[in-house]
Amino acid sequence: MGEPTAPPHTIEAFRHAYEEESRLLGFRSACGFVTATWLLVCPRCGARDLAETELGRSGRLVAFTVQTVPSDEFLNEAPYAYVVVDLEGGGRVTGWMAGIARESDLSVGEPVRFAPSYKPGVQFVRASDAGAA
Amino acid sequence: MRETWVVGAASTRYGKLPDSGREAATRVALEALDISGVDPKRIGYTFVSNAFGVAERQAHVGPLINTALGIPDVPSATIESACSSSSAGLHEAFVHVAGGFADAVLVVGVEKLSHLDTLAATSYFAMGADYPFETRNGATFPGLYATLAHAHRQRYGTTAEELGAVAVKNHANGARNPHAHFQKEITLDTYLKSPVIASPLRLYDCCPFSDGAAALVVAAREVVGPRASEPLVIRASARSGSIADMQDRPDLTGLPATRAAATLAFRQAGIGPEKVDFAEVHDCFTIAEVMALEDLGFYPKGGAARAGAAGETAHDGQLPINPSGGLKAKGHPVSATGAGQVVEIFEQFNHFAGGRQVPRTEWALAHNVGATGGSCSVHVFSHR
Repeated sequence: MGEPTAPPHTIEAFRHAYEEESRLLGFRSACGFVTATWLLVCPRCGARDLAETELGRSGRLVAFTVQTVPSDEFLNEAPYAYVVVDLEGGGRVTGWMAGIARESDLSVGEPVRFAPSYKPGVQFVRASDAGAA
Repeated sequence: MRETWVVGAASTRYGKLPDSGREAATRVALEALDISGVDPKRIGYTFVSNAFGVAERQAHVGPLINTALGIPDVPSATIESACSSSSAGLHEAFVHVAGGFADAVLVVGVEKLSHLDTLAATSYFAMGADYPFETRNGATFPGLYATLAHAHRQRYGTTAEELGAVAVKNHANGARNPHAHFQKEITLDTYLKSPVIASPLRLYDCCPFSDGAAALVVAAREVVGPRASEPLVIRASARSGSIADMQDRPDLTGLPATRAAATLAFRQAGIGPEKVDFAEVHDCFTIAEVMALEDLGFYPKGGAARAGAAGETAHDGQLPINPSGGLKAKGHPVSATGAGQVVEIFEQFNHFAGGRQVPRTEWALAHNVGATGGSCSVHVFSHR
């Protein structure tokens, strides 16, 4: 018998991709369901042959909050926005945006772009800011 | 299926427990047994919920409670479903008794986090979310519910004043409840001047971290002897799950697990929401009460906040909601919360509720959510 093969998908691979490879990983199911969450079976159609896919880097804000009280891993970041983004090409992902102090700084439908940095998590910036950078 | 009753119910005051969670849980369990009139030797199982027991360096607390109650040979198991843990315990008790696997079952929920600092307590609470896909992005529980509140406001125009009305109402109810963590009324002005925690939610939109313990005795009708208290007949015991992560939910203006559990519960009970006289619903944040009233079918989507602001859900309104003060004012000792909601309904059915007694108690509903709705319990009760 040969060495056991590594599982094809791991949560660590997702984290490594978005925090260290500047890629957003997801799964695409035959039924059209696209997710950025790690899973083994499609919750919509039950398919197991999920194709690992790289998700789009641009999207639009669906909902958000500006957190003035941070979580323990974001003590030095507050205030910041926790955001829900619909990605171009499919898939909805949650992430965060640094330097957002007021709710009026953002609006639903606003274009944003995946912009990883040395900080944890899935980080977005306004598309207009990304263009200026 | 055997007709199954809640025949004993007891709770500590929520807030800060002077003793350990284990001691508080054992004391309320004994009190619930005494109220029930059920011989402890008839208990066939104990379901204990203590999600954050490790914060007291204690797991496997069931055998310790049973031993201290003089029933060390009774089997026990720990039931964890985040904030809906002890309502999940009640469901397991119902299944055991209604299915004939036990004549009587003890349900205990307890939490003690007050010995931790706020940051540590917040970190424990956050363990109910998805760490790599939510918490790793900076989400706190106020942040997650604030995102839902933002989506609800975006679609239905829910205002700060309408959310504030939920807080004002539940504090008014808590002020009449000797078990409540906060026994103090607030004004809408106080609410509006409170600091924003996670927009649009303010400090007074958020429930507190509470210590507390609550216990229920669940028994088959035929094994209950003559007794003083009016039992709660469990007409429905329903639970549902849903996709846990908000990033995989197409709709962020409600909780699908509530809708699924409510549909099942009303089918089991053979009634619709219009029959319910009062309810204890999961209001960890004011927006959670609004969404619950819509997802349970009491109001159409977008209608609950306005109805609450108009006084319909007040203690003297047409549908009293959270006469205990709810999680918002009575408090939220995570694993005790679900059982504690049923303690309130037991006291209301027995007219023990003093100044917070609601006028009609033929049918009542308890709704308890785990985290942001990955799990949900709905129980429906009536008189004999």
